[in-house]
Amino acid sequence: MDMSNMRPDPDELLSKIKAAEKNTSGKLKIFLGYSAGVGKTYAMLDDAKEQLKSGIDVVVGYVEPHTRPETLRLLEGLPAIEPKIIAYKNMTLREFDLEIALLRKPQLILVDELAHSNAYGVRNKKRYQDVEELLNAGIDVYTTVNVQHIESLNDIIEDITKIPVRETIPDYIFDHADKVMLVDVDPEELQKRFREGKIYRPERAATAMQNFFTLDNLRLLREIALRKTTDIISQGNLSDISTADKKINTRFLVCVGPSPSSAKCIRWTARTADAFHAPWTALYVETPKSGSFNDVYPKNIKDNLELAARLGGQQVTLNGYDVASTVAEYGKLLAITNIVVGKSRNKKTLRNYFRPNFEDKLIGLLPNTEIHIISDNDAAKHQKIVDVKELKRNLIFSWSDSLKMLLLLIAATLISLGLRSMGIGEQNVIMVYILFVLIISRVTSGFVYGVTASIVSVLTFNFLFVKPYFTFNAVQSGYPVTFLIMLIVAIVTSTMMIRIKTQAGFAVAKERKTEILYEINKKLLITRGLDNIIELTNEYITSICSRSVIFYCEDPIFGKPGIVKTFGTDMNSSFMLNPDEQAVAHWVFINKKRAGAGTDTLMGAGAFYMPILSQGKVLGVLGISCITQMPINHELRSFLRMVASLVAMALERQALSDEQRRIIVESEKETMRSNLLRAISHDLRTPLTAILGASSAVLEDKKMDSKTQEKLLTGVKDNAQWLIRMVENLLFVTRINDAAMKINKSPEAVEEVVAEAVTRVKNQFPSALIHVKVPDDLLLVPMDATLIEQVIINLLENAIKHSSTVLPIELMVKRDENFAIFEISDHGEGIPTEELPTLFEGYIGNKQSSPDSSRGMGIGLSICRSIMATHNGKIEAENRPEGGALFRFILPLNEGAANES
Amino acid sequence: MKVKTSILIIEDDVSISNFIEAVLTSNDYGVIKANTGKEAITMVTSFVPELILLDLGLPDMDGLKVLARIREWSSIPIIVVSARTNEKEKVEALDQGADDYITKPFGTSELLARVRTALRHKQGDMQEFNEENRIDIASFRINFKKHQVTIEGSEIHLTPIEYRIVALLAKNRGKVVTLEYLSKEIWGPYTLENNALRVNMANIRRKIEKNPAEPQYILTEVGVGYRMRDER
Repeated sequence: MDMSNMRPDPDELLSKIKAAEKNTSGKLKIFLGYSAGVGKTYAMLDDAKEQLKSGIDVVVGYVEPHTRPETLRLLEGLPAIEPKIIAYKNMTLREFDLEIALLRKPQLILVDELAHSNAYGVRNKKRYQDVEELLNAGIDVYTTVNVQHIESLNDIIEDITKIPVRETIPDYIFDHADKVMLVDVDPEELQKRFREGKIYRPERAATAMQNFFTLDNLRLLREIALRKTTDIISQGNLSDISTADKKINTRFLVCVGPSPSSAKCIRWTARTADAFHAPWTALYVETPKSGSFNDVYPKNIKDNLELAARLGGQQVTLNGYDVASTVAEYGKLLAITNIVVGKSRNKKTLRNYFRPNFEDKLIGLLPNTEIHIISDNDAAKHQKIVDVKELKRNLIFSWSDSLKMLLLLIAATLISLGLRSMGIGEQNVIMVYILFVLIISRVTSGFVYGVTASIVSVLTFNFLFVKPYFTFNAVQSGYPVTFLIMLIVAIVTSTMMIRIKTQAGFAVAKERKTEILYEINKKLLITRGLDNIIELTNEYITSICSRSVIFYCEDPIFGKPGIVKTFGTDMNSSFMLNPDEQAVAHWVFINKKRAGAGTDTLMGAGAFYMPILSQGKVLGVLGISCITQMPINHELRSFLRMVASLVAMALERQALSDEQRRIIVESEKETMRSNLLRAISHDLRTPLTAILGASSAVLEDKKMDSKTQEKLLTGVKDNAQWLIRMVENLLFVTRINDAAMKINKSPEAVEEVVAEAVTRVKNQFPSALIHVKVPDDLLLVPMDATLIEQVIINLLENAIKHSSTVLPIELMVKRDENFAIFEISDHGEGIPTEELPTLFEGYIGNKQSSPDSSRGMGIGLSICRSIMATHNGKIEAENRPEGGALFRFILPLNEGAANES
Repeated sequence: MKVKTSILIIEDDVSISNFIEAVLTSNDYGVIKANTGKEAITMVTSFVPELILLDLGLPDMDGLKVLARIREWSSIPIIVVSARTNEKEKVEALDQGADDYITKPFGTSELLARVRTALRHKQGDMQEFNEENRIDIASFRINFKKHQVTIEGSEIHLTPIEYRIVALLAKNRGKVVTLEYLSKEIWGPYTLENNALRVNMANIRRKIEKNPAEPQYILTEVGVGYRMRDER
């Protein structure tokens, strides 16, 4: 059998994983109808009843109260959630209570009217957002919607029925639904229902039937609903992979303007691109004319771009002076095959003959691209307003520019007067004035100064240099031409200057953004540690936004609270730590979407929250205070998104390196443990053999003389004592390893700890001489007393056993500023120089050395070192010049000092 | 025939209880043994020993529970046997009414000294310092009537708090007095003045000991409390 077939296909695995991921979120079933009264709610409740019978935990989340009696009957027996009552402008509104639903967490929930807009004060603006949250929480949802509420079909239906539908749902909700069920009824039957007053009260039904529910309308709506359903079914028939692999050779680009009718173009593009299974992009070109983001237009732009996003398009904003050439450049870059533009029927004015059409320009620039023109009647009006605005912008008065103009004109006049006194001809005077008009256009902003300067120059020239002098009468026939040329020069120069300047301005702004991004990236690359990354991010974002920032690296409900960075003198930053604000951050962690001030969700919050996403996982949440300033604008938001993606990369890198370090530490611990076990089993065997031998000798040989017996028993006792010390040390090893750094430190009196250690050692070795000296003043050191006592005991025992001398051992404790120094010295033969470097490595280092020579010493010393490590102290050994070994360990008196050292 | 003082050994390890039994019997004590907590409780009620050695690590129930059960009705002196590294357990046992503790591993002389102290305290409850109101430990003497402490005959000047600490330790000489107990006796039940206590202890040590790092009279049990030496 071919083995290569046995290997799992990576794509298959991936799709399986994806499928598994999907399973964690709830399933959405949409009951689609083409009009009110077709029986969507009835069908939904009927289905729910079936589910309830088969043992599923079904709950009615919200059903519109106007429902028909047949439907109401179905509601009986289904558990329901009480709607939220909201007081709004003297009305009481009933809303679906999302919080309760999430707490209740049924398997299946019914939420009527997907397109409904929530009342102000509810968590989400739209009901479909509620539904998304329910799905994210793993709850299955049944919902109902009419076809006219689907975003991409919105305008078509408006054309048919002439009634605008305000409440829409984005197409992706529809496309991602697991099941769509069409609830269909014959239009005539529906009209019968209307007439019978089953849907609306009879008096309202009559007007409704005249306006909206005419037979023609209903037929068309039905057709659209049927078509939409077939679309979804045919899409469902294609496998997941083939839909994801959209036809790359077709790409749509729609040019978005500030006009609300751009929405029409966007919808058209969405529908068409969908039909082609092609990707599409909504492009907005920001020009100097379009003004700053605080104006009215950008609000529309934002709406239009958000519409594009809702419909599944990519949104792009570019800066450029000329829209057509910018679009053309972008189109070439992305190999766009179809460009959609809106066009209004322009009046044939003289100006239009000189100004090439936008579409004509595009066609000229992109001869191989298909251009689709969607008629758009509102655009012209807007164009006019923009032009007026543009003029206004160029007519800005500024004192400094006027002064500059005045000074330069005076200079020109003086130079000209000088030239005339030198007898140089007046054609040169003209040249001087033209030069200065040019300079003025260069140094001032707007047309005004250039034009004014040229007019003033012409007049001055006429007044001072043209005979008859000091009059405005120009006798010579050529002068009007001169004036005209001067005027044209001034205007042309000014226009060019404006263009160059704005483009330079754009370039600089863009450059600055890129530079900041580059800088952040560079800094993030060299930053190690989560805290440092957070600090750096906070610092940059506060300086970019000039607002206070909060950074959550964990969901505040489960983990630690966020880290706040206050901007400058902003006194109100602490509000971001409130439980209410934390709840918003929590929401962002769960729903992976931005929320808070200036968004559609939880807009009552004081800050704007955005997730830091990486591969669908929320690595952190950034909160930016909006309490003292305007909400975050679109431009800043997109910039923050870029910063967030950099931070996401850094966080991911950090998580990886943390994981790696953990693995390394783990494996080190593992080797340490196995080395320890090896060393112990070797070291334990010797004394155990001695004990066994001696005790069995005493037991078996009854005739043994008491002297030999005593000798053997002394040996047993010594060995047993050694074993006890060994075991006690081993207990400490496990204690240190288990608790890692979590030992109990409390201030202890050094003399007490030393005294107990010495007493213990003296009990063990009654003949040993130990001289102890402690400071006269009480010295309190933070430590785990039993551990430090063990260190002292180990060092004293080593000194007694290995110094091979009867001379006294000295133990001295000193205080040195922020440290307590313990010194244990003997007068023995010292430590062999070659052993000094590896002395404290203990059982890891001296595997091969004879176990009997330094039995247990290695383990004892290495334990001393581990204990010191947990105390942020250090231990060292040396040979004293006057002979003998000296062991010294140092403990910090406070934690701060430890960090400094 | 002289009636032997009876001691109950509650210990599940046979070799250790054998060893303790051997030591005690050869020192003229009467020994009874219990292997489990339940057995121990019934034996205490039926034999009413004069001293109990209780190992905290028992197979059937927590040693501390056995202690509590006995203390419900009896004030028989109890010495707790425990491992060295477990200070918390020791303190808990002392607070629950154990008279003293001894740490494994221990030697014969240490064991006998503890047993003697505990038994003496039991008798001393009645006639501790009736005659002269004073206690002598080597050259250390405390006179409760005069509120006076002398070493080798010369008077030591202690502050009132220091005197109260020394007096408390002296009354309980040979036994461990926990930090918490000391603190509550001196400063009242609502504060835990561990640091103040340490400072006072350091001062006392400097006044009555030759070398505070090698104390003769007041020994430290790190993490548990203090014990005054008991040698007449």
